[in-house]
Amino acid sequence: MSSKRHSVLPAVDRSGPKPPVNFSTSLTISDNAVLQGTHSITMQAETVVHPRSRIESSVGSVLVGRRCIIQERVHLGAPSDNQDKGTGGVSLGDYVLIEAGSIIEAGGTEIGEGSIIQVGSKIGSGAKIGKNCTVSHLSVIANGDVLPDNTVVYSNGTRRTDKRGTPELRKLSIVKQIAMLRKMIPSNPDKFR
Amino acid sequence: MSRRPAKGDYIETDTGNKVSRKAVLVGTQNIMLGGKTVIQPEVMIRGDLVRTAQAQPPSGGSAAPPNTTAVAIGRYCFLARTVLLRPPGRIYKGVFTYMPLRIGDHVFIGQGTVVQAASIGNHVYIGKGCVINEFAIIKDYVKVLDGTIVPANMVIPSFSIVAGKPGRVVGELPDGAHDEFELRDLYKTVGNNPQPAAA
Amino acid sequence: MSLSTPYTYIQCPCSDQTVLSSGNALSDPEEDERTFDPKAPRSNYSLYPLEYLLYCEDCQQIRCPRCVTEESVTYYCPNCLFEVPSSNLRSEGNRCTRSCYQCPVCIGPLQVGAIQPTTDANLLPTQYQTNPTGGPYALFCQYCNWTSTEIGIEFDRPSGIYNQLSKINNGGKPKLTLRDVKDRRKDNPDEPPVPDDQVDADLQFAHLKAFYQSRLSETNTSIRGLPLHDGLGFSSPAALTRIMSLYTGRGHQGRLQQGPADIMREALGTNDGLKIANLDESKEIKKLINGGWDATASLEQRKEQTEPIRFEDQLRPIAYLLRSKRSKRCPACRHIISKPEAKVTSTRFKIRLFAKSYIPTITIRPLNPTATPAPVTYRPMVQEEAPLKPHQPYHFVVTFKNPLFDNIKVTLASPNATPGRFSSRVTVLCPQFEVDANTDMWDDALKDDEKDRSRKADEGPEVGKIWEKGRNWVSIVLEVIPASLRIDQQPKKGNEKIDTSPLKSGEDILEIPMFVRMEWEADTQADMDGPASKDKEAREKRELAYWCVLGVGRISQE
Repeated sequence: MSSKRHSVLPAVDRSGPKPPVNFSTSLTISDNAVLQGTHSITMQAETVVHPRSRIESSVGSVLVGRRCIIQERVHLGAPSDNQDKGTGGVSLGDYVLIEAGSIIEAGGTEIGEGSIIQVGSKIGSGAKIGKNCTVSHLSVIANGDVLPDNTVVYSNGTRRTDKRGTPELRKLSIVKQIAMLRKMIPSNPDKFR
Repeated sequence: MSRRPAKGDYIETDTGNKVSRKAVLVGTQNIMLGGKTVIQPEVMIRGDLVRTAQAQPPSGGSAAPPNTTAVAIGRYCFLARTVLLRPPGRIYKGVFTYMPLRIGDHVFIGQGTVVQAASIGNHVYIGKGCVINEFAIIKDYVKVLDGTIVPANMVIPSFSIVAGKPGRVVGELPDGAHDEFELRDLYKTVGNNPQPAAA
Repeated sequence: MSLSTPYTYIQCPCSDQTVLSSGNALSDPEEDERTFDPKAPRSNYSLYPLEYLLYCEDCQQIRCPRCVTEESVTYYCPNCLFEVPSSNLRSEGNRCTRSCYQCPVCIGPLQVGAIQPTTDANLLPTQYQTNPTGGPYALFCQYCNWTSTEIGIEFDRPSGIYNQLSKINNGGKPKLTLRDVKDRRKDNPDEPPVPDDQVDADLQFAHLKAFYQSRLSETNTSIRGLPLHDGLGFSSPAALTRIMSLYTGRGHQGRLQQGPADIMREALGTNDGLKIANLDESKEIKKLINGGWDATASLEQRKEQTEPIRFEDQLRPIAYLLRSKRSKRCPACRHIISKPEAKVTSTRFKIRLFAKSYIPTITIRPLNPTATPAPVTYRPMVQEEAPLKPHQPYHFVVTFKNPLFDNIKVTLASPNATPGRFSSRVTVLCPQFEVDANTDMWDDALKDDEKDRSRKADEGPEVGKIWEKGRNWVSIVLEVIPASLRIDQQPKKGNEKIDTSPLKSGEDILEIPMFVRMEWEADTQADMDGPASKDKEAREKRELAYWCVLGVGRISQE
């Protein structure tokens, strides 16, 4: 009943300029990840990048903080085709979790420490997301929007303040996740240097 | 691997599975397909997120190899384009582990849906653009409408119609809806030699 | 299943007025001339797609969800899928009494979790401090991140949340239950009743229930001998029908009132369950000024709560409403036509008499589709047909699939012009045909006949001939000439005034009412009263007729 092994996965589109990278030594990045662009891409300690994620620095540089997790099909630094886009790149704080399929547009976008961007969300260009926020699935944050710290965006754009007061819990769970993922994802940072 | 002499878009296995060449299946040794399942292009299945064995054998005897199924799919399933199947993970006994994702027979998953459920029953229709979160349990004969977000840990009982963000049960399926979920005809319309859609 | 593709709806005869009014026999010509208007407001309630319909074998009639009587087979919680016996239902209510709760803010499921003390996140995973698992517990919502700590409720044990919740108020203070009040009364018999603002809804209800039970037992009312005071009299459907028979006048007329007509005393204080409303709302107004808009609960949130509240910190977790598995009965002959299995996790049916296995499945598609077929990788896509242009003939292929094991003869009748303001012309090219039985495929192969398979498309649709035929299905062609939707071009119909109001919604959808009549011969299911005689094995001619509506598409507005 098992499927036969496929000998080769479909090729990843690697066209485009190879960006200058600045990796930490403890970075785990899958070799199926795609890094494109002209500006620099910096990834700090213990961050995990899943296969098939796309980090693009054509609009501006990308800075990923410590202990972040970037899941598959995420597009960091997507160019925004909107009029009110900002200048600059993308900057992620520490302990940020970006779940599958999310799009983070470039243009001065900042995501604060400890935030979670859940499946399929779209963060517009220039948006500033505070610390310990939760942007739930399929939400859209408009260009230039500012989310104060500890905000939860859910349902059809409803916002409420998170009063749990347990940011440490979230950081701990990310640490544990990273510990497991480092064993599972074969890392190949030299491919991108 | 049995390849037909003419190279088509799909790889058809002995058990009748039709897997598109453009589908991304990571960790295929942990993915089980039931047979007569269709996987369309750009589908991504994370078979590498599997539970790693933790238990030590009690004595020196040989331990049976742990069952490392990450994703198990039943018969006559249909995964439309850009679907993402991800096993759900949580912190169990202090360690973050991934649990297997089990999908039953005759399950249709619409375009662009992300499934991180714990289990999906038989004869389920999931629309396009849905997100099914970790450890959700969907029972048999359920219809999930387009764009639904099923929150984590939700249980959807049989014969329900679910919609909304967060998803709620909005209706009940009529008793005579058993045949709506049959995917045999759909299976025949896809593949290297597609039959025309049944009149 | 969507409205954009061509659809077929079937009308259930339960809404047919001639059946309901007994003793009003309409003369035959009038009945024949009455056509079915799918756009009439009343017909909206009688049209159903085929999967909704059931069939009663004894009455040989279609039954719809509106006319069947439903009875519950089991009750279960949709979250934990635990069966709740009906006796529990009467005493504890219709919500789950285990730990299943919904978030009051987003209606997502709540999880019980331990509130862990904070740990140092910089430690490596293998060296983290073990958290005591016996810590206090709370309810967490995974979707909107609400926790019960926001309303100040924490639990000692992770299970039995229902009992723990019924004892705690928002804010952590214990609730006053009936038992506490009774114990206090026992210790101190002269104590005044509980002041009004300390009585909450649960306590008030408990007091009121006890009060009425004591009153009813005192005045000794009973209905037909069944005592009411223990609440059992109102629960089962059989008891309810007995009670309703008092109001409908049937049953024994003289025994309505037994004994002296007693006047019951009304509730007088909080002891009896009367709570006087507090009209001074200055505290709430002050809270509103301080908290602002965000501190109030929204309308949807308030609707789900069991008690009327105003503010966000008064929200309580909502227990899941129980769901039921229901069996359906024919209203005329009282036979069960659908009965699911009692086990919650099983999806099978003990008895299923669905209309799909008795009446032919009707599907409709255009003969020359304008929409291009979807490429293989984009299947399945629902292709939108272009709207139909007025005054141009269109052909549609209507397929009838026969589920019975006998051949059926189908007769179709459709009015020449569709009813409504803009009537299109409809012609059924082959109104009478026969569809073969639903035999197994293997029987067919063994039969060895040369069946007339598909005809080639180069022969155009002909009047009186079947378009295509298969093992158990037949396709015929329907010709439609849509009417123009221009209001000023409506034809004058005799002396009627022309309605010049603008186009109402739904008037541009072309719907064709069609009367379907099928005849077939079946083996009679004779009751085995005596020894089976040869006469009872004769085949009986049966027929069934109903209206159905074919929704064909939209007419373009040019």
